[in-house]
Parts: sequence; C-alpha cells; structure tokens
Amino acid sequence: MRELKPSLHKTMVDRLVAIVGRDAVISEESELVVYECDAYTMQKNLPTAVVLPATTEEVAQVVRVCNELELPIIPRGAGTSLSGSVLAVDGGVMIALTRMNRILNVDVRNRRALVEAGCVNAWITREASPHGLFFAPDPSSQPACTIGGNIATNSGGPHTLKNGVTTNHVLGYEMVMPDGSIKWLGTKPDGGEDVGGYDFRGAAIGSEGMFGVVTRALVRLVKTPASFKTFLAIFDSVDQASHTVSDIIAAGIVPAALEMMDQVITRALEEAYKVGFPLDAGAVLIVELDGLAGGVEQQAKQVEAICENNNAREVRLAKDDAERAALWKCRKRAFGAVGRLSPNYVTQDGVVPRSKVPAIMQFIREVSERHQLRIPNVFHAGDGNIHPLILFDERDPDQVKRALMAGDEILTKCVELGGSVTGEHGIGAEKIDFMEKQFAKDDLEAMKKLRTVFDPQQRCNPHKMFPGAKRCAEFAQKKQISA
Amino acid sequence: MSLLRPSNVANLLAEIVNCEKVDDIDLSEVSRLVEHVPEDMTATVEDGMALADFQQQLAKGGQWLPVDPPNPESVTIGELLANNLNGPRRFGCGTVRDWLIGVAVVLPDGRLIRNGGKVVKNVAGFDLCRLFIGAQNTLGIIVEATFKLQPLPEAEMHLAKRFESLGQAEACLEHIWDSTLQPIVLDLHRIDGSDLTMVVSFAGPSADVTFQSEELIAMGFEDGVSLDYDARFRSKKHTWKSIAPGNLINSLSQLPRSNFVARAGNGLIYHDGEPCVGEEDSSLELNGLERRLKQEFDPENKLPELRRQ
Repeated sequence: MRELKPSLHKTMVDRLVAIVGRDAVISEESELVVYECDAYTMQKNLPTAVVLPATTEEVAQVVRVCNELELPIIPRGAGTSLSGSVLAVDGGVMIALTRMNRILNVDVRNRRALVEAGCVNAWITREASPHGLFFAPDPSSQPACTIGGNIATNSGGPHTLKNGVTTNHVLGYEMVMPDGSIKWLGTKPDGGEDVGGYDFRGAAIGSEGMFGVVTRALVRLVKTPASFKTFLAIFDSVDQASHTVSDIIAAGIVPAALEMMDQVITRALEEAYKVGFPLDAGAVLIVELDGLAGGVEQQAKQVEAICENNNAREVRLAKDDAERAALWKCRKRAFGAVGRLSPNYVTQDGVVPRSKVPAIMQFIREVSERHQLRIPNVFHAGDGNIHPLILFDERDPDQVKRALMAGDEILTKCVELGGSVTGEHGIGAEKIDFMEKQFAKDDLEAMKKLRTVFDPQQRCNPHKMFPGAKRCAEFAQKKQISA
Repeated sequence: MSLLRPSNVANLLAEIVNCEKVDDIDLSEVSRLVEHVPEDMTATVEDGMALADFQQQLAKGGQWLPVDPPNPESVTIGELLANNLNGPRRFGCGTVRDWLIGVAVVLPDGRLIRNGGKVVKNVAGFDLCRLFIGAQNTLGIIVEATFKLQPLPEAEMHLAKRFESLGQAEACLEHIWDSTLQPIVLDLHRIDGSDLTMVVSFAGPSADVTFQSEELIAMGFEDGVSLDYDARFRSKKHTWKSIAPGNLINSLSQLPRSNFVARAGNGLIYHDGEPCVGEEDSSLELNGLERRLKQEFDPENKLPELRRQ
C-alpha cells in the first residue's frame, strides 16, 4: 500500500468524496481488503482508496484529481481477472465501475446495445434474447464479469471458435483518458461502422486498463442461431479426443464450440453436479454446432463419424435446450469444481497452434509426473487454448515452488510450439516475465510507444505487462521460491 | 523523396534508414507464401502477394481468407491491410480486422517489429495488428501478415431482385432482416441508370444454401447473378458514407439522382453524388491522439500522412 502523508491522504479522501459522495469512497484498510486482488491470488496489494463513481463525468473528475495528486489509477470491473491485472501494485486510486452497470439501450434494428462499463456480460444476452439476439463473447465468468473488463482483456470464451472474441464484437466505446478528457473511440451509438482514421478502438481493446477508463460501450449483437446440436463425446484417452479435434477442423467444420475436459475434471464435475459423466473416461469433448437446421444436421453426421473413427466410446446428443444448458453450466463451473480437489490451484492460459494440441497435452503429462503434481485440463481445444490447472497446497512451500515451475515450463513450451502465453486471461502482473520470451525487445518498445500515445505519464494501471515493472515484496518472495 | 523497391525485408530495413522521405513502396518482390497450415486454419504471407494469388494457394487446402475487395488480381496483401479493403461479403464475413492475427512491420527507423502471432487466440501485449490495419503505411510498413482462415464454403449462391421504388425495396429488406435467413451479402444497388436491385448471397453447407435460396426465389428473386457490379462501380470516382444500417433507406432517399452500391447490412453507401456537409469527418487535420501516434511511430515524418478517404 502506498503510504501517503496523513495530510495528503485527507486531501485525497476529501476531494474524492466531493466528487462521488462519502458512500462511494472506501479508504479504511479493513474495507480495502476486498480490493486487494482479483481471481489471481498469488499477489495482493491494497489500493490507497477505492471510488465507485456513478457517471462518466465523475470518473473524469476522479482521474483529474489523481493527476493533480500524482496517484496511479487502477480501473476495475468485477475483479474476476485471472492474471492480477487489477492489482494496485503501488497503491493508487482504484476506480470500480460496478455502480455504472446499466444497459442504456438495446437497438434491435441495428443489432447493437449501449451499456455502461460495469454492466455484467450475461445481462446483455438476457436483455437481447427476447429479440432473437445475443452478445457473443462468453467467458466462463460471464455471470459476474463486466463489459469494461471484457474490453480490457479482450475476453474470449468457449464460443469464440466460431464467433470471435471481444474485439470482434465491440463497435465503439467511451473512454476517460488518463488526462481526464472524455473520448469516444470507434462507432458512435447512432453512427456507421466505418469511422475513418486510425483504429484506436481496436488498439485499446486488450490493453488491460493501461490506456484509460472505459465508461460506456456499444456492443454488437448477433442473431441467435435457429438450431443447435450439442454433443458430448466420450473417449478413453486424451489423445483420441485431441485427434478428433484436429479431424473436425480438417473436415472444414467450424463448430460453435469445441471443448475438452480430461478425467480429473470430469470426475470432479460428476461428484459435484451428477451430470452423468462416466468416471473412467479418459477425456470428453463438448462439440456444439449451430446454424440453420439443414446444415447443422449435415455437419452433425460428419462429426459423429469423425468421433467414431477416433474410437469414441459414446457420443451423446443433448436432447433439448435444458440438457444443452446443463452441459454448458457444468463446463463453466469446471474451475469451481476443482476447488474440491485441492486447497489451491493456479490456472494457465497458454495457446498453441491447433495441430499442436496433442503435443502440448503430452508435455503437460510429463510436467505433471516430473513435479509430482496433479494437472487436470479443461480447455478450448478448437482454438488450441489450454487451461491446465496446477493443483497444490500453499501450506507446503515445496509444492508452491513446484507449481510455479510447472506453470513456467508449460507456458515456455507453448511459446516454443509457436503459440502464446495467454489466449484470454491477459499478462497482468502474473505473466510479465514471459513477455521477453514471446517478444523481442523492439516488439515491446513498439507496444510502449502506443502506451505513451494514450498515457504519457504511465498513470493508468502501472506496473503491468512489461518486464521491469515494480513487484511487491510479497510477490518477490514467491518468485524467490521459484528461482 | 523516393520510391523503395526492396527485394527482401532486410533490403527494405537498410533502405528505409537512409531514406529521408518515402513516397511510395513497391513490395512486389516481397511476396512469398511463408506458410499455410490447413490443420491450424492459419496462413502467413508476405505483403507483396496479390490477394487472388494468396486465395488460390489457400484453396489448395480447402480454405480462404474471407475478404472480397474489388480487383483481387492486383490488390496486394499490403494494400488490403493498409486500406482495410472489403467487398460485398463483408456483411457475413466481417473485415480484415476480424481475420488478422499477426504482423511483421518495418518501422521508419529501420527496425522490424512483430505483433500478435500465429495462434487464433492471443492477448499477450497490446494489439498493434488492429492499429496498422487502415493506417495506410503512415506508421510503419507491414511486410508480413498472419491470418486466421475459414473453410471454403461447400456452396454459394447469389440472387437478385429489381424494385421500382425504395419503399418496395425497404419492405423486402426488413422482411429478410427479421427472418431466420443468414445472408453473407445483402446489397442494394442502382448503377448505370439501371433499376434498383437487391442482391442477396448465401454460403455454407449446401443444404442451407439451397433451402435459403428457395425461400428467396419464392419471393421473386432470380439466381445466377454475379457480384461484379461492386468492382465496376467502385473503380469509378465515388464517395462513401457510413451510417447505422437502420438509416439506410432514409439516406438513400437523399441521393435521388445518384448511382450507388449500398451494403444494406452494414449501413455503408458508395455513391457518385456530392458528399453531404458534415457527412464524414472532412477535417484533414489530425486530432491530438492521432498526432501523438504519428509522432511516436514516425517522428521524422518519413512516411506519408494519413489521408481521409
């Protein structure tokens, strides 16, 4: 926590209260604890204060005060980020957008919705679905995560295989710039798609809150498919399931989703939710096809044949919407179910070219054996986006050390295989050290140039993304363990 | 002032350092297909390859890059990206912004940078790929690009119907818009003094294409039409206007004597009338953010200035 002189602390609190009111400023240490981390719990830092503004103008005023008092600004949504991207590493004023959570307009004719940044992802589809429309990005945290957070991390989800990620579905947004000015980037709420000039909209999506504070967003809505077929294909081995994934893609089929869960995950889910997964299956695939009935039928036959060719033990078809919904609910609670298996776990978010999925799965098995740690997998196989969950007990320092090493090795291997260390969770504070493995020095310099354009003072969400960023003492300890 | 015509990327890096002002860059010799991995549905290509040649290579693996700007035989990958070019299938396929996953860019100071990568999902670092698309080589010169691809559709069909008035066309358009049909082209055009015509295309599994086409034929559409009107019209002098798709008919009614091609699903109108006042940001001045961006990436102003198109 940044120690401010008591007089400065009082000045800060007074000025923030003057903008947003007493109820919307948190500055007592006991209450700030709620904001000490996100869903990445290996590092914790207390912000100096948290404000909960209600309007864009309030956000802008808060940003201006932070400029005057030279305090860092940390934008925050629901805090579901998995990479420590909303940590107040060096203290500062955290701007939580959770009170700005309204859906301002669902424009059915133009298939757009205008929402405030704190609006929860799933609410948009809930509002749009009576009109036959939905918001496509569907991270597993969608009942809680916010649109502002989705923009900050360029969130994905199981259905990005066919539909694309957040950048493909956000037309424009309002941003409070680090100097306190208010800008609209991209398509305006009543405007056309093409705005000319540089694509600042696209450049700032995925910038992890380092370019400004998003306050409102205009998102694209897409038509709800007329027909779905969702299969659960059960295999004896991860290899068989991996090859099925490759064969489906090679057949020219782009399913809406293509997800894999291995034995440890399916067992944990079965114990928790009793969904009917066989306990001895090596791996299961969820394959979802959507579109018009005829094409879905045609592709379903191909998918079934491919599963059989790869010796699927069983291919079950969800018989109605309720079964389909149950399957997805189950998939999206997989991380939660793992909580039953182990006191702690750390999840990784590597990506490999699709054809390298069997290779990375094999490597993860080797890492698991070498470090004597269980590493179950639940992931977006169709995108090559893996989520190994490394299970450990934080009371055992040696296990913590091995868990960190295992994570490092897996991500390094992803880069070696031509992939990336993060497909949807972001770099944040967690994966800073990998940036130099994945990018050359000049590549990082170019990214920093872009940051300077938006935030010359580096006031917005500092100490993230780039090597050389400051670490807190607690985190340094953990890193020492791993060294 | 000079024209750069490098034979490879190393050559360009050396030349650009010594160049005071780059007038034009001819990358026709930097035009290899670096890699196409059908199993990964990705491909990497150098900037100078013509789009049609690239598509031909991809077709060997049953895939394509789903963009269709006019004149693909002469348009290079570099031009496609620098100007964010697109065509009628934009409604169903999006633009190149939706498909680019990695770039290599030569910066004016002679450094080669890479951004993104060759995997379809990747959020490591800031997204400079999006930034360089449509930037007209004013910040750096894209020399290599990696795209995610799509399977070539099993079938594709184009249909058209003529209308006597915008009102009639509007009724049909709204009907299609609200239906379960999933067109990849939804255009309206009136060119060379001919009738107002709506063009609708379907692509995908043949079962879907046949089923949807039959529905349109029942509405009086004829099949077997071509999409060549787009290139024909856009090769002549024209201006454009981008509006919310719901305002399309209203906007077209304000162009009673103009020829036009309109992307009804996107709200994009190419027309040969006068640009309306306030229609686009006609200011040639860069705004503050744009100026800072140009200053950061091209401090010596070697590269061209951004044109408002």
